Amino acid sequence: LALYFHSGEREEKCIIEDIPTDTLVIGNYKVQRWDIHKQDFLESAPGLGMFVTVTTPSAEVLLSKLYGPQGTFSFTSSLSGEHIICLQSNSTRFVAFAGSKLRIHLDIRVGEHFLDESVVQAKDKVNEVNFRLEHLIEQIHHISKEQNYEREREEKFRKTSEETNSNILWWAIVQTLILIFIGIWQIKSLRDFFISKKLV
Amino acid sequence: MLLRGSGTAGLWWWLTLLLVACAARASEITFELPDNAKQCFYEEIVQGTKCTLEFQVITGGHYDVDCQLEGPDGAVLYKEMKKQYDSFTFTASRNGTYKFCFSNEFSTFTHKTVYFDFQVGEDPPLFPSENRATALTQMESACVSIHEALKSVIDYQTHFRLREAQGRSRAEDLNTRVAYWSIGEAIILLVVSIGQVFLLKSFFSDKRTTTTRVGS
Repeated sequence: LALYFHSGEREEKCIIEDIPTDTLVIGNYKVQRWDIHKQDFLESAPGLGMFVTVTTPSAEVLLSKLYGPQGTFSFTSSLSGEHIICLQSNSTRFVAFAGSKLRIHLDIRVGEHFLDESVVQAKDKVNEVNFRLEHLIEQIHHISKEQNYEREREEKFRKTSEETNSNILWWAIVQTLILIFIGIWQIKSLRDFFISKKLV
Repeated sequence: MLLRGSGTAGLWWWLTLLLVACAARASEITFELPDNAKQCFYEEIVQGTKCTLEFQVITGGHYDVDCQLEGPDGAVLYKEMKKQYDSFTFTASRNGTYKFCFSNEFSTFTHKTVYFDFQVGEDPPLFPSENRATALTQMESACVSIHEALKSVIDYQTHFRLREAQGRSRAEDLNTRVAYWSIGEAIILLVVSIGQVFLLKSFFSDKRTTTTRVGS
Protein backbone atom coordinates (compact mmCIF):
# COMPACT_ATOMS: atom_id res chain seq x y z
CA LEU A 1 0.00 0.00 0.00
CA ALA A 2 1.83 3.00 -1.25
CA LEU A 3 0.16 6.37 -1.07
CA TYR A 4 -0.58 7.73 2.38
CA PHE A 5 -1.77 10.94 4.00
CA HIS A 6 -2.20 12.29 7.50
CA SER A 7 -5.42 12.91 9.32
CA GLY A 8 -6.54 14.03 12.77
CA GLU A 9 -7.73 11.44 15.26
CA ARG A 10 -11.42 12.11 14.86
CA GLU A 11 -11.25 13.72 11.44
CA GLU A 12 -13.22 12.30 8.57
CA LYS A 13 -11.45 12.13 5.25
CA CYS A 14 -13.48 11.60 2.14
CA ILE A 15 -12.72 10.86 -1.46
CA ILE A 16 -15.04 11.13 -4.40
CA GLU A 17 -15.48 8.50 -7.08
CA ASP A 18 -17.56 9.36 -10.13
CA ILE A 19 -18.48 5.96 -11.55
CA PRO A 20 -21.06 4.35 -13.87
CA THR A 21 -23.57 1.76 -12.64
CA ASP A 22 -22.64 -1.87 -11.90
CA THR A 23 -19.02 -0.99 -11.26
CA LEU A 24 -17.07 -2.81 -8.61
CA VAL A 25 -14.87 -0.60 -6.46
CA ILE A 26 -12.33 -2.21 -4.15
CA GLY A 27 -10.46 -0.25 -1.48
CA ASN A 28 -7.43 -1.26 0.56
CA TYR A 29 -6.38 0.77 3.53
CA LYS A 30 -4.01 0.63 6.46
CA VAL A 31 -4.00 3.06 9.36
CA GLN A 32 -1.20 3.82 11.79
CA ARG A 33 -1.29 5.94 14.89
CA TRP A 34 1.36 8.45 15.98
CA ASP A 35 3.08 7.53 19.22
CA ILE A 36 4.14 10.46 21.41
CA HIS A 37 6.87 8.53 23.23
CA LYS A 38 8.54 6.96 20.23
CA GLN A 39 7.91 10.05 18.06
CA ASP A 40 7.03 7.77 15.20
CA PHE A 41 4.06 5.95 13.78
CA LEU A 42 3.33 2.59 15.39
CA GLU A 43 3.57 -0.37 13.09
CA SER A 44 0.29 -1.77 14.33
CA ALA A 45 -2.27 -0.17 16.61
CA PRO A 46 -4.51 -2.80 18.15
CA GLY A 47 -7.98 -1.60 18.98
CA LEU A 48 -7.86 1.09 16.34
CA GLY A 49 -10.56 0.75 13.75
CA MET A 50 -11.91 2.73 10.85
CA PHE A 51 -15.49 3.48 9.97
CA VAL A 52 -15.89 3.19 6.23
CA THR A 53 -18.98 4.93 4.86
CA VAL A 54 -19.97 4.94 1.21
CA THR A 55 -22.68 7.36 0.11
CA THR A 56 -24.45 7.10 -3.25
CA PRO A 57 -25.30 10.10 -5.47
CA SER A 58 -28.88 10.00 -4.12
CA ALA A 59 -27.52 10.50 -0.56
CA GLU A 60 -28.25 6.91 0.48
CA VAL A 61 -25.68 5.05 2.53
CA LEU A 62 -24.46 2.05 0.59
CA LEU A 63 -21.89 0.76 3.03
CA SER A 64 -21.22 1.66 6.64
CA LYS A 65 -19.00 -0.73 8.52
CA LEU A 66 -16.28 -0.73 11.12
CA TYR A 67 -13.08 -2.41 10.01
CA GLY A 68 -9.82 -3.02 11.82
CA PRO A 69 -6.58 -1.05 11.43
CA GLN A 70 -6.02 -2.75 8.10
CA GLY A 71 -8.70 -3.88 5.76
CA THR A 72 -10.33 -4.21 2.40
CA PHE A 73 -13.77 -2.98 1.53
CA SER A 74 -15.70 -3.20 -1.71
CA PHE A 75 -19.01 -2.13 -3.13
CA THR A 76 -20.85 -2.24 -6.42
CA SER A 77 -22.58 0.88 -7.60
CA SER A 78 -26.28 0.60 -8.40
CA LEU A 79 -26.58 4.20 -9.55
CA SER A 80 -24.21 6.12 -11.75
CA GLY A 81 -22.76 9.23 -10.22
CA GLU A 82 -20.52 10.61 -7.52
CA HIS A 83 -20.04 8.13 -4.73
CA ILE A 84 -18.33 9.44 -1.61
CA ILE A 85 -16.07 7.12 0.36
CA CYS A 86 -15.37 8.38 3.89
CA LEU A 87 -12.91 7.08 6.43
CA GLN A 88 -13.10 7.99 10.09
CA SER A 89 -11.34 6.36 12.97
CA ASN A 90 -13.25 5.02 15.95
CA SER A 91 -10.78 6.55 18.34
CA THR A 92 -12.43 7.67 21.57
CA ARG A 93 -9.67 10.06 22.57
CA PHE A 94 -10.57 13.69 23.02
CA VAL A 95 -9.77 16.02 20.19
CA ALA A 96 -7.73 18.22 22.53
CA PHE A 97 -5.04 15.55 22.76
CA ALA A 98 -2.20 17.43 21.14
CA GLY A 99 0.12 16.03 18.55
CA SER A 100 -1.96 13.01 17.79
CA LYS A 101 -2.52 12.09 14.21
CA LEU A 102 -3.13 9.13 12.01
CA ARG A 103 -1.37 7.95 8.90
CA ILE A 104 -3.79 6.42 6.42
CA HIS A 105 -2.51 4.33 3.52
CA LEU A 106 -5.11 4.08 0.79
CA ASP A 107 -5.50 2.30 -2.51
CA ILE A 108 -8.75 2.38 -4.47
CA ARG A 109 -9.34 0.30 -7.57
CA VAL A 110 -12.27 0.97 -9.85
CA GLY A 111 -13.45 -1.75 -12.21
CA GLU A 112 -11.97 -5.22 -12.14
CA HIS A 113 -8.57 -4.56 -13.57
CA PHE A 114 -6.37 -6.49 -11.21
CA LEU A 115 -4.58 -9.51 -12.61
CA ASP A 116 -5.04 -12.77 -10.82
CA GLU A 117 -1.58 -14.25 -11.01
CA SER A 118 -2.38 -17.59 -9.41
CA VAL A 119 -4.17 -18.72 -12.55
CA VAL A 120 -1.15 -17.80 -14.65
CA GLN A 121 0.94 -20.13 -12.50
CA ALA A 122 -0.72 -23.00 -14.30
CA LYS A 123 2.03 -22.66 -16.94
CA ASP A 124 -0.30 -23.72 -19.69
CA LYS A 125 0.34 -21.68 -22.82
CA VAL A 126 -3.20 -21.69 -24.17
CA ASN A 127 -4.69 -20.96 -20.80
CA GLU A 128 -2.38 -18.01 -20.20
CA VAL A 129 -3.38 -16.28 -23.43
CA ASN A 130 -7.00 -17.16 -22.76
CA PHE A 131 -6.72 -15.56 -19.34
CA ARG A 132 -5.12 -12.40 -20.73
CA LEU A 133 -7.87 -12.16 -23.32
CA GLU A 134 -10.51 -12.43 -20.61
CA HIS A 135 -8.78 -9.59 -18.80
CA LEU A 136 -8.73 -7.48 -21.98
CA ILE A 137 -12.43 -8.14 -22.56
CA GLU A 138 -13.08 -7.00 -19.00
CA GLN A 139 -11.16 -3.79 -19.68
CA ILE A 140 -13.15 -3.15 -22.85
CA HIS A 141 -16.44 -3.63 -21.02
CA HIS A 142 -15.36 -1.13 -18.39
CA ILE A 143 -14.41 1.41 -21.08
CA SER A 144 -17.75 0.89 -22.78
CA LYS A 145 -19.66 1.45 -19.52
CA GLU A 146 -17.68 4.60 -18.80
CA GLN A 147 -18.43 5.97 -22.26
CA ASN A 148 -22.13 5.31 -21.83
CA TYR A 149 -22.08 7.17 -18.54
CA GLU A 150 -20.11 9.97 -20.17
CA ARG A 151 -22.87 10.32 -22.76
CA GLU A 152 -25.43 10.78 -19.97
CA ARG A 153 -23.32 13.44 -18.28
CA GLU A 154 -22.71 15.32 -21.48
CA GLU A 155 -26.45 15.36 -22.09
CA LYS A 156 -26.98 16.90 -18.66
CA PHE A 157 -24.28 19.45 -19.47
CA ARG A 158 -25.96 20.35 -22.73
CA LYS A 159 -29.34 20.73 -21.01
CA THR A 160 -27.84 23.09 -18.43
CA SER A 161 -26.25 25.21 -21.16
CA GLU A 162 -29.47 25.38 -23.14
CA GLU A 163 -31.40 26.28 -20.00
CA THR A 164 -28.93 29.09 -19.29
CA ASN A 165 -29.34 30.32 -22.84
CA SER A 166 -33.15 30.42 -22.65
CA ASN A 167 -33.00 31.90 -19.13
CA ILE A 168 -30.90 34.81 -20.38
CA LEU A 169 -33.31 35.45 -23.24
CA TRP A 170 -36.41 35.15 -21.05
CA TRP A 171 -35.08 37.44 -18.33
CA ALA A 172 -33.93 40.03 -20.87
CA ILE A 173 -37.43 40.14 -22.36
CA VAL A 174 -39.03 40.39 -18.90
CA GLN A 175 -36.72 43.22 -17.90
CA THR A 176 -37.37 45.14 -21.11
CA LEU A 177 -41.14 44.77 -20.61
CA ILE A 178 -40.80 45.94 -17.01
CA LEU A 179 -38.81 48.96 -18.22
CA ILE A 180 -41.43 49.88 -20.83
CA PHE A 181 -44.42 49.47 -18.51
CA ILE A 182 -42.74 51.22 -15.61
CA GLY A 183 -41.80 54.10 -17.94
CA ILE A 184 -45.38 54.42 -19.17
CA TRP A 185 -46.70 54.21 -15.59
CA GLN A 186 -44.23 56.85 -14.38
CA ILE A 187 -45.13 59.37 -17.04
CA LYS A 188 -48.85 58.73 -16.65
CA SER A 189 -48.69 58.96 -12.90
CA LEU A 190 -46.70 62.19 -12.90
CA ARG A 191 -48.95 63.75 -15.54
CA ASP A 192 -52.06 62.95 -13.50
CA PHE A 193 -50.31 64.29 -10.41
CA PHE A 194 -49.34 67.59 -12.03
CA ILE A 195 -52.84 68.03 -13.52
CA SER A 196 -54.39 67.41 -10.12
CA LYS A 197 -51.99 69.90 -8.52
CA LYS A 198 -52.89 72.44 -11.21
CA LEU A 199 -49.26 72.91 -12.25
CA VAL A 200 -49.90 72.03 -15.89
CA MET B 1 -16.53 -13.85 -16.61
CA LEU B 2 -13.36 -12.95 -14.77
CA LEU B 3 -11.32 -15.92 -13.66
CA ARG B 4 -10.56 -15.77 -9.95
CA GLY B 5 -8.13 -17.77 -7.82
CA SER B 6 -9.53 -20.17 -5.26
CA GLY B 7 -10.58 -18.18 -2.22
CA THR B 8 -8.07 -16.29 -0.11
CA ALA B 9 -5.02 -18.33 -1.13
CA GLY B 10 -4.98 -16.71 -4.54
CA LEU B 11 -5.46 -13.28 -3.03
CA TRP B 12 -2.52 -13.66 -0.63
CA TRP B 13 -0.31 -14.91 -3.44
CA TRP B 14 -1.28 -11.93 -5.51
CA LEU B 15 -0.56 -9.52 -2.67
CA THR B 16 2.89 -11.07 -2.13
CA LEU B 17 3.66 -10.81 -5.83
CA LEU B 18 2.62 -7.18 -5.79
CA LEU B 19 4.91 -6.46 -2.83
CA VAL B 20 7.82 -8.20 -4.52
CA ALA B 21 7.28 -6.59 -7.89
CA CYS B 22 6.83 -3.23 -6.13
CA ALA B 23 7.73 -1.18 -9.17
CA ALA B 24 4.47 -0.07 -10.68
CA ARG B 25 1.72 1.74 -8.84
CA ALA B 26 -0.82 4.30 -9.91
CA SER B 27 -3.00 6.11 -7.42
CA GLU B 28 -5.72 8.39 -8.59
CA ILE B 29 -7.86 10.16 -6.04
CA THR B 30 -10.55 12.82 -6.33
CA PHE B 31 -11.05 14.72 -3.09
CA GLU B 32 -12.56 17.93 -1.85
CA LEU B 33 -10.21 20.60 -0.60
CA PRO B 34 -11.98 23.03 1.76
CA ASP B 35 -11.13 26.74 1.76
CA ASN B 36 -7.89 27.71 3.52
CA ALA B 37 -6.89 24.07 3.65
CA LYS B 38 -3.84 22.16 2.56
CA GLN B 39 -3.76 18.45 1.87
CA CYS B 40 -0.52 16.51 1.53
CA PHE B 41 0.15 13.02 0.20
CA TYR B 42 3.27 10.95 0.71
CA GLU B 43 4.78 8.08 -1.20
CA GLU B 44 7.93 6.05 -0.69
CA ILE B 45 9.86 5.78 -3.92
CA VAL B 46 12.94 3.80 -4.85
CA GLN B 47 15.80 5.62 -6.52
CA GLY B 48 15.72 5.68 -10.30
CA THR B 49 11.97 5.17 -10.68
CA LYS B 50 10.27 7.34 -13.21
CA CYS B 51 7.19 8.99 -11.69
CA THR B 52 4.44 11.20 -13.05
CA LEU B 53 2.16 13.50 -11.10
CA GLU B 54 -0.86 14.87 -12.89
CA PHE B 55 -3.61 16.96 -11.34
CA GLN B 56 -6.68 18.89 -12.36
CA VAL B 57 -9.17 21.05 -10.51
CA ILE B 58 -12.73 19.97 -11.30
CA THR B 59 -15.04 22.34 -9.41
CA GLY B 60 -14.79 25.48 -7.35
CA GLY B 61 -14.07 29.17 -7.74
CA HIS B 62 -11.52 29.91 -10.45
CA TYR B 63 -10.67 26.21 -10.80
CA ASP B 64 -7.10 26.67 -9.62
CA VAL B 65 -4.94 25.32 -6.83
CA ASP B 66 -1.35 25.58 -5.55
CA CYS B 67 0.73 22.44 -5.92
CA GLN B 68 4.15 21.58 -4.50
CA LEU B 69 6.22 18.43 -4.81
CA GLU B 70 9.16 17.84 -2.46
CA GLY B 71 11.85 15.21 -2.33
CA PRO B 72 12.99 13.29 0.77
CA ASP B 73 15.51 15.97 1.77
CA GLY B 74 12.94 18.76 1.44
CA ALA B 75 14.19 19.89 -1.97
CA VAL B 76 11.34 21.39 -3.97
CA LEU B 77 11.04 19.56 -7.25
CA TYR B 78 7.91 21.27 -8.50
CA LYS B 79 6.07 24.33 -7.29
CA GLU B 80 3.25 26.12 -9.08
CA MET B 81 0.73 28.62 -7.76
CA LYS B 82 -2.87 28.83 -8.97
CA LYS B 83 -2.65 26.19 -11.65
CA GLN B 84 -5.76 24.63 -13.21
CA TYR B 85 -4.14 21.58 -14.70
CA ASP B 86 -0.60 20.27 -14.97
CA SER B 87 1.45 17.17 -15.51
CA PHE B 88 4.96 16.68 -14.09
CA THR B 89 7.34 13.79 -14.76
CA PHE B 90 10.49 13.21 -12.77
CA THR B 91 12.95 10.46 -11.97
CA ALA B 92 13.57 9.80 -8.30
CA SER B 93 17.16 10.75 -7.59
CA ARG B 94 17.14 9.30 -4.06
CA ASN B 95 15.35 6.70 -2.01
CA GLY B 96 12.85 8.09 0.42
CA THR B 97 9.47 9.61 1.01
CA TYR B 98 8.29 12.09 -1.57
CA LYS B 99 5.60 14.52 -0.58
CA PHE B 100 3.18 16.51 -2.70
CA CYS B 101 0.71 19.04 -1.37
CA PHE B 102 -2.32 20.83 -2.73
CA SER B 103 -3.15 24.13 -1.13
CA ASN B 104 -6.32 26.20 -1.25
CA GLU B 105 -5.06 28.73 1.30
CA PHE B 106 -5.48 31.69 -1.03
CA SER B 107 -9.21 31.14 -1.26
CA THR B 108 -11.52 32.49 1.42
CA PHE B 109 -14.74 30.65 0.84
CA THR B 110 -14.64 28.33 -2.15
CA HIS B 111 -14.17 24.59 -1.83
CA LYS B 112 -12.25 22.96 -4.62
CA THR B 113 -12.53 19.43 -5.92
CA VAL B 114 -9.10 18.24 -7.01
CA TYR B 115 -8.21 15.12 -8.99
CA PHE B 116 -4.68 13.80 -9.08
CA ASP B 117 -3.00 10.77 -10.60
CA PHE B 118 0.38 9.72 -9.26
CA GLN B 119 2.05 7.06 -11.36
CA VAL B 120 5.15 5.36 -9.93
CA GLY B 121 7.26 3.25 -12.22
CA GLU B 122 6.24 1.43 -15.36
CA ASP B 123 3.60 -1.28 -15.50
CA PRO B 124 4.91 -4.83 -15.29
CA PRO B 125 5.08 -6.58 -18.68
CA LEU B 126 2.04 -8.62 -19.58
CA PHE B 127 4.08 -11.70 -20.38
CA PRO B 128 7.10 -11.67 -18.08
CA SER B 129 10.32 -12.62 -19.83
CA GLU B 130 12.03 -14.38 -16.88
CA ASN B 131 10.89 -17.93 -17.48
CA ARG B 132 10.41 -18.01 -21.21
CA ALA B 133 12.18 -20.25 -23.67
CA THR B 134 10.96 -18.62 -26.87
CA ALA B 135 9.98 -15.17 -28.05
CA LEU B 136 6.38 -13.97 -27.78
CA THR B 137 3.93 -15.70 -30.06
CA GLN B 138 1.74 -13.69 -32.38
CA MET B 139 -1.22 -14.09 -30.03
CA GLU B 140 0.79 -12.83 -27.10
CA SER B 141 2.20 -9.82 -28.92
CA ALA B 142 -1.32 -9.01 -30.15
CA CYS B 143 -2.48 -9.15 -26.53
CA VAL B 144 0.32 -6.83 -25.49
CA SER B 145 -0.48 -4.24 -28.15
CA ILE B 146 -4.21 -4.39 -27.40
CA HIS B 147 -3.43 -3.90 -23.71
CA GLU B 148 -1.28 -0.84 -24.43
CA ALA B 149 -3.95 0.62 -26.70
CA LEU B 150 -6.64 0.07 -24.08
CA LYS B 151 -4.49 1.72 -21.42
CA SER B 152 -4.18 4.81 -23.56
CA VAL B 153 -7.94 4.73 -24.27
CA ILE B 154 -8.60 4.70 -20.54
CA ASP B 155 -6.14 7.55 -20.10
CA TYR B 156 -7.87 9.70 -22.74
CA GLN B 157 -11.24 8.78 -21.33
CA THR B 158 -10.19 9.99 -17.88
CA HIS B 159 -8.95 13.28 -19.31
CA PHE B 160 -12.17 13.78 -21.21
CA ARG B 161 -14.28 12.94 -18.15
CA LEU B 162 -12.42 15.54 -16.09
CA ARG B 163 -12.72 18.25 -18.74
CA GLU B 164 -16.42 17.53 -19.13
CA ALA B 165 -16.94 17.63 -15.35
CA GLN B 166 -15.18 20.98 -15.20
CA GLY B 167 -17.26 22.35 -18.11
CA ARG B 168 -20.47 21.12 -16.55
CA SER B 169 -19.57 22.71 -13.23
CA ARG B 170 -18.95 26.06 -14.96
CA ALA B 171 -22.26 25.78 -16.86
CA GLU B 172 -24.19 25.12 -13.65
CA ASP B 173 -22.46 28.07 -11.93
CA LEU B 174 -23.37 30.28 -14.88
CA ASN B 175 -26.98 29.14 -14.80
CA THR B 176 -27.49 29.94 -11.12
CA ARG B 177 -25.64 33.23 -11.46
CA VAL B 178 -27.83 34.31 -14.40
CA ALA B 179 -31.00 33.40 -12.50
CA TYR B 180 -30.07 35.26 -9.30
CA TRP B 181 -28.71 38.37 -10.97
CA SER B 182 -31.73 38.65 -13.29
CA ILE B 183 -34.20 38.38 -10.44
CA GLY B 184 -32.14 40.86 -8.45
CA GLU B 185 -32.03 43.32 -11.34
CA ALA B 186 -35.79 43.10 -11.94
CA ILE B 187 -36.50 43.79 -8.28
CA ILE B 188 -34.05 46.72 -8.17
CA LEU B 189 -35.64 48.11 -11.34
CA LEU B 190 -39.13 48.01 -9.86
CA VAL B 191 -38.09 49.42 -6.50
CA VAL B 192 -36.05 52.27 -7.99
CA SER B 193 -38.65 53.39 -10.53
CA ILE B 194 -41.59 53.29 -8.13
CA GLY B 195 -39.47 55.06 -5.52
CA GLN B 196 -38.52 57.79 -8.01
CA VAL B 197 -42.17 58.62 -8.70
CA PHE B 198 -43.10 58.85 -5.04
CA LEU B 199 -40.00 60.90 -4.24
CA LEU B 200 -40.84 63.33 -7.00
CA LYS B 201 -44.41 63.59 -5.79
CA SER B 202 -43.18 64.33 -2.29
CA PHE B 203 -41.04 67.27 -3.57
CA PHE B 204 -44.08 68.87 -5.17
CA SER B 205 -46.24 68.31 -2.13
CA ASP B 206 -43.83 70.35 0.05
CA LYS B 207 -43.69 73.16 -2.52
CA ARG B 208 -47.46 73.21 -2.70
CA THR B 209 -47.77 73.89 1.04
CA THR B 210 -45.19 76.72 0.87
CA THR B 211 -46.99 78.36 -2.06
CA THR B 212 -50.33 78.22 -0.20
CA ARG B 213 -48.70 79.81 2.85
CA VAL B 214 -47.22 82.55 0.70
CA GLY B 215 -50.59 82.97 -1.01
CA SER B 216 -52.65 83.42 2.17
